Amino acid sequence: MFCAGQKQRRNEVKMEKRKRIFRRIWKNKTIYIVLLPALVWYLIFVYVPMGGLMLAFKDYKANLGILGSPWTGLKHFENLFRDVDFWQSVGRTLKINVIRLFVTFPVPVIIALLFNELRIRKYKKVLQTVFTFPHFLSWIIIASVLRNVLAYDGIVNSIISLCGGDVVNFLGNKRMFQPMLYLTDIWKEAGWGSIIYLAAISGIDQEQYEAADIDGASRLQKMLRITLPNIMPTIAVMFILAAGGIMGAGFDQIFNMTNAAVRESGEILDMYIYRITFQATPDFGFSMAVSLFRSIVNMVLLVIADRGSRLFGGNGLFG
Amino acid sequence: MRKRKKKKIGGMDIFVFLVLTLGGIIILFPFWNMLVISFTTQKEYMQTKLLFFPKNPVWDAYKALLGDGRIWIGFRTTFLYLILGVPLNLFLTTCLAYGLSRKDYPGRKLIRGLILFTMLFGGGIIPLYLVMKSLNLTNTIWAVILAYGVNTFNAILMSNFFSSLPESLLDSAKLDGAGDWKMIQRIIMPLSKPIFATISLFYIVDRWNEWYNSMIFVRKSSLQPLQLVLRSIVIDSQVKAKISSMGVVAVEEYAFDTAIKMAAVVVTIIPVMCVFPFLQKHFVKGVMIGAVKS
Repeated sequence: MFCAGQKQRRNEVKMEKRKRIFRRIWKNKTIYIVLLPALVWYLIFVYVPMGGLMLAFKDYKANLGILGSPWTGLKHFENLFRDVDFWQSVGRTLKINVIRLFVTFPVPVIIALLFNELRIRKYKKVLQTVFTFPHFLSWIIIASVLRNVLAYDGIVNSIISLCGGDVVNFLGNKRMFQPMLYLTDIWKEAGWGSIIYLAAISGIDQEQYEAADIDGASRLQKMLRITLPNIMPTIAVMFILAAGGIMGAGFDQIFNMTNAAVRESGEILDMYIYRITFQATPDFGFSMAVSLFRSIVNMVLLVIADRGSRLFGGNGLFG
Repeated sequence: MRKRKKKKIGGMDIFVFLVLTLGGIIILFPFWNMLVISFTTQKEYMQTKLLFFPKNPVWDAYKALLGDGRIWIGFRTTFLYLILGVPLNLFLTTCLAYGLSRKDYPGRKLIRGLILFTMLFGGGIIPLYLVMKSLNLTNTIWAVILAYGVNTFNAILMSNFFSSLPESLLDSAKLDGAGDWKMIQRIIMPLSKPIFATISLFYIVDRWNEWYNSMIFVRKSSLQPLQLVLRSIVIDSQVKAKISSMGVVAVEEYAFDTAIKMAAVVVTIIPVMCVFPFLQKHFVKGVMIGAVKS
């Protein structure tokens, strides 16, 4: 009897707990109602497709659907890892985006430091608007605009030949193509990238500058000894976050800048996925295996970046 | 900021002025060049070595472009994306942001985790395509509108803003017996105008620039958005064939390819150029809100 009594008591406690949770849920019901539309969207358009990745282990038959198609184990991955094009595209992705990171990353910092020293207020506003403008245009527009000036008979080549130089085939030349990717990236994004550093600079304590003034520091000294060290944490965080995006960067740009002559030197992993899926008879199972590989590597990099940026006092990817 | 005591112009001022001005020119010049070419004739383009200003500006390229018809399809589709898509984006994002910003309810951690996970991992475009197909949405604009519902990053920005609203205000409202709906209506909405402005702008830009999803989900040429129309005109360069087939006489004489291409880019950029200078500060504010938190 003693035992049964204890059991009953335990059941009562459990019931009481459950009741309390239900009561809390009921009390907060509006929150769930508000959340519902967004959660339904995530379910249908994010999580169901994520489940679709199981096709990487299946032989997709359109008539059988995703769930009905037969399992094939790791067949697609075996084929994938034997595909030379795949490994080359992975290597190219890493090469292009690592160099891109080191070439493009310092530019916004420098622009921010310069803008901070520009003392004509009105002019500063106008220039900042100009510098941030290209960021808001798609790569289709940017590629159209830049292809025009960089074309064989474009204005840049006209200027070069007027100065007595040889005409350069900027975009149709395998050797030039990757450097052009970095340059056009800087052209489009560096101005916008500087805004975050300007925000950081505006938060610097003014007393440091006053103390430096008393010591008779020059403006260059103040820039290098006060401004730059103060925004170093922001720089570190931005660098790590950019490094986390190495696997995913560049598709929009390359897709619109590329052409037949340089197709190979621009085939990063995302371009490879696009080509095997949408420009050939697609094997969805195989394509999905590549996508899964990409998503996993990408996730690992992002998690590392997130941890890294927290080390430097950032908020990580999640704000 | 307070005024500096010395206002003398030093070497630093001159250096900074020159470098930034040069940068501004490098950014603006390609746009100017595009504008100029769109107004020149083929003859002038061939004869002039350095074309900085059209001597006899002509509207021919624009006439050919607007007569082509595709650009109107582009404007119509993109307009539909904007008026149907952006309200959906804002509605879903606000719902999510409010839910994420509330602190104490069962399941909060799970929901937050599931949402944040989508920033790290995704299925990619192919399974999404299969989903759209099974919902019979491919080849309709709904595939494009629904594929981009919430930008998780924007939702987090907004939820950070909501959580930064003074707690005491919400508490006192609660004491007065206001439920969630009333709080959203009376307190959160009016205080959140700046973040709504910024996030709306982010979504408007995204919708304006939308092309990838349309390219994958919608194959019908009558439903192409502006960006893809532009891409087919400029990058795939099918202008000439198209215009000749539409029976425009003597195409070669006045409407040369490059001018039409550039006219197409101008037409696509102009709306952005007209509003951007006035809205730039709101975009910057968005970054500031994000930065202040970190």
